[in-house]
Amino acid sequence: MALPQSINDFLSESANNAGVPPPANGDDLFKTGVLDSFALVDFVAVLETECHVKIPDSDVVPGNFQTLQAIENYVQSHQG
Amino acid sequence: MDAFVIGSGTCLPDLVVTNEELAPRLGLQPEQIFKSSGIRSRRWVDGKATTSSLAAAALRRALDDAAVSAHDIDFLIVGTMTPDRFIPGSAPAIQHALGLREVPALDIRAACCNGLYALQLARALIQSNIANQVAICLAEVQSPFLDLSPQSATLSMLFGDGAAALIVSGRDPTVREGAITSPLEIVDVMIATNGQYVDDLGIRCPGTEFGNSRSHGPDDFPSDYLPRMNGQSVILQASRRMVSACQTVLERNELSAKDVRWLVPHQANANLLAQVARSLGLSHAGGEVISVLEELGNTSSASMGIAFDVLRQSKRIQPGDYVLLPAFGAGFTWGAALCRASETRP
Repeated sequence: MALPQSINDFLSESANNAGVPPPANGDDLFKTGVLDSFALVDFVAVLETECHVKIPDSDVVPGNFQTLQAIENYVQSHQG
Repeated sequence: MDAFVIGSGTCLPDLVVTNEELAPRLGLQPEQIFKSSGIRSRRWVDGKATTSSLAAAALRRALDDAAVSAHDIDFLIVGTMTPDRFIPGSAPAIQHALGLREVPALDIRAACCNGLYALQLARALIQSNIANQVAICLAEVQSPFLDLSPQSATLSMLFGDGAAALIVSGRDPTVREGAITSPLEIVDVMIATNGQYVDDLGIRCPGTEFGNSRSHGPDDFPSDYLPRMNGQSVILQASRRMVSACQTVLERNELSAKDVRWLVPHQANANLLAQVARSLGLSHAGGEVISVLEELGNTSSASMGIAFDVLRQSKRIQPGDYVLLPAFGAGFTWGAALCRASETRP
């Protein structure tokens, strides 16, 4: 399953705002600076809207969104 | 019987500590502190003031503001994480300093949500006819507990000292002559807790879990005696929980963000406040966030009360305005209160 383009657009914009390159497969989104805690909150909101998933507060931890693959896995396992 | 906030007051220590003064001790640049927190200065006690002395001064101002005599107070609630003594709490000292009658006086320890708990308790006491005039003090003297070394920089740059007080009354909300603003009805308070995060924000010792100065001393376990914070966890949970609490309170009162004129959040971090306002869509709806962070830093229990007092004293609250007060703190505990200004103009 591929993530919607809007998700990749969000991450590219977040990377641009942070002054780092757009994320590639395998990149740690936090270590590379694409996401920080505040950006993750916005990102989760976008994910919920664009991927039609409800992400509980207890799941909003960096480990679930560390890489593009981790995000895909999370979304896939939570879509109805 | 409905409960109304009819008076408020603040007391701040005189000593202003700027980022320029603090940053070198913490190994930071002044602008780093501002960029990551929105804070430019904070007030610290000079070593003489206690939590109860700040709280008592704030309460005197709140009583004056409400035109209520100390004799008329029949319940005192004090929210603080930094009491004068380990035992008892600070409430008896404040009761004595103000010359209140021999009324119930207790401390609550719900950290940065103390303001919400106090409002909920005061409202419940009034609605159940146990009390008719409740004094709330929200006060912290945090600066003596801070580690002013680079290893604690991200925490120690945030905190300030200060106190606020509120008078909550069940009396007829008719606006008296000379009042600065309409009485604010406490319409609703929602509070929640999830103790799985208990170690993500707080101070471990002294206590019965880790020990005290004899069994688990600060020389051997210094970090257990200092404030600790998992910043990422706090930001992630606070951003979500404060917003969901606001939405819950609004929905169960058949309101939406567009009905909120004033957002008076716990003053934790400017970036967090902006995130909460953005998530609620408050700015688009015409609401305004009240922030005292830049000048006062994070005064924990006191912060929401101070911001609330600043708003009240500004005389900008109009009859019918809704005021939404979200908070998040150690525990984790979080929630939101909703107040509404009475329709009669002062």
